[in-house]
Amino acid sequence: MTLAARNLVCSYGPTRAVDGVDLEVADDSILAVFGPNGAGKTTLLKALSGERTPDEGVVVADGKAIRGSDPEWRCRVGLVSHRTGLYMKLTVMENLLFFGVLHGLAKAALAAEEALAAVGAPELARHRAEVLSHGQRQRVALARTLLHDPDILFLDEPFSGLDPNGAEALEAVLRERRSPGRIVVLVTHDLRRGLRLADRVVVLRRGRKVLDDDRAECEAEALVGLFTDSGSPA
Amino acid sequence: MTSLRWIGVIAWKDLRAEFRSGGRIAAMISFSVLACFLFSFSLGSLVAGRDVAAGLLWLTVLLASISGAGRTFDAEEEDGAFRHLLLSPVSRHAIFLGKAAANLVPVTLVAAFTLFALTLFFRIAAPGSVALHAAILLPGAIGLAAAGTLFGLISRHSSLGDSLLPALTFPALVPLVFFGATASSRVFLDRPWAEISGPARLLWGIAIGVVAVGALLFRYLTDD
Repeated sequence: MTLAARNLVCSYGPTRAVDGVDLEVADDSILAVFGPNGAGKTTLLKALSGERTPDEGVVVADGKAIRGSDPEWRCRVGLVSHRTGLYMKLTVMENLLFFGVLHGLAKAALAAEEALAAVGAPELARHRAEVLSHGQRQRVALARTLLHDPDILFLDEPFSGLDPNGAEALEAVLRERRSPGRIVVLVTHDLRRGLRLADRVVVLRRGRKVLDDDRAECEAEALVGLFTDSGSPA
Repeated sequence: MTSLRWIGVIAWKDLRAEFRSGGRIAAMISFSVLACFLFSFSLGSLVAGRDVAAGLLWLTVLLASISGAGRTFDAEEEDGAFRHLLLSPVSRHAIFLGKAAANLVPVTLVAAFTLFALTLFFRIAAPGSVALHAAILLPGAIGLAAAGTLFGLISRHSSLGDSLLPALTFPALVPLVFFGATASSRVFLDRPWAEISGPARLLWGIAIGVVAVGALLFRYLTDD
């Protein structure tokens, strides 16, 4: 499993949110994308996941250009964002069953129970999403994403609003996801956690890639410097 | 078969959430019954109920449907669920049809309550065949539900919000309301089927057209 972007450009009107970005994510690895607000991180993630068609450039998975509208591609990707994407009036189990059926799982109920167990929240199954804390909802959102066992997991600020225990639990699940045939792409402001998890680090500023390096070569203080104009591009 | 399953499960999800919150359907039905009550106060002594009931029926159902359409995507937007729905392998057509099918239930309920309320408040002793009313109101409800789903999405993503809904919906639904009121008035007046079938067929054609155009535009609006 490999994922690559070639000269990606995504614009909102005259503003280039992503401006000529190239990157590669190797199999069995976690890529962390950092950058200040408005750097284009979420737009890049949307282009990589196929949610948004880039204005220029191409996203390639396993050597083939992806089409976001392709159902097979959508079965291969999962998304966790700071907004949980749960239906508040439904119970946790109903939420999971709904998405399980949409993904064509034959045994959606069993998969839902296993996914809840994997995120350490089997006791939440009968609760409506509206009565859960943000941390609990985020666990359920992760369970929903793991339901169909995606090859590529995209995370958009997943630690936002999580307490330390919730963040630790999410980190543990992400570490487990690092395995052959799988990729994790993580967009976050949380440099410390991101660096702890990542194998490779990309920093964006004003839509452009200013750093693409192995995690071992990166230090948080140096990355913060790259967030500002005074930092020198790689 | 997969598409039908998707449509069914999306409609099931919307209806389950809808009946648990309860607010929208209750508000739509209350609005329609209250409107009929006020119509009977203002017009009851001036005109015969059977002469105006069809127009009032369709006007009330149209207004109540639009008032509810703005909330079609509330649950989707509440915590970003729509992004995940769009990222699932479900086709855009199935999402639209599932949500329109869920919208059909409140619109049909509103139509039924409005018909009953008009008959009651205007004291119409012989309102015509219930089966014929249903045959006319059903395609109307389908068209209104589909249009409401589409325009609900458009208004959600416009800075004008719900205030945009009537401006979009009224012009697009003029033919539906016109032929619906024509057919319903003939049912109220107990005219033979030969006189009703023409506008009824046109009504079904328009409803199917609204659903088809809605599904196409929904896909266009939700891509990217």
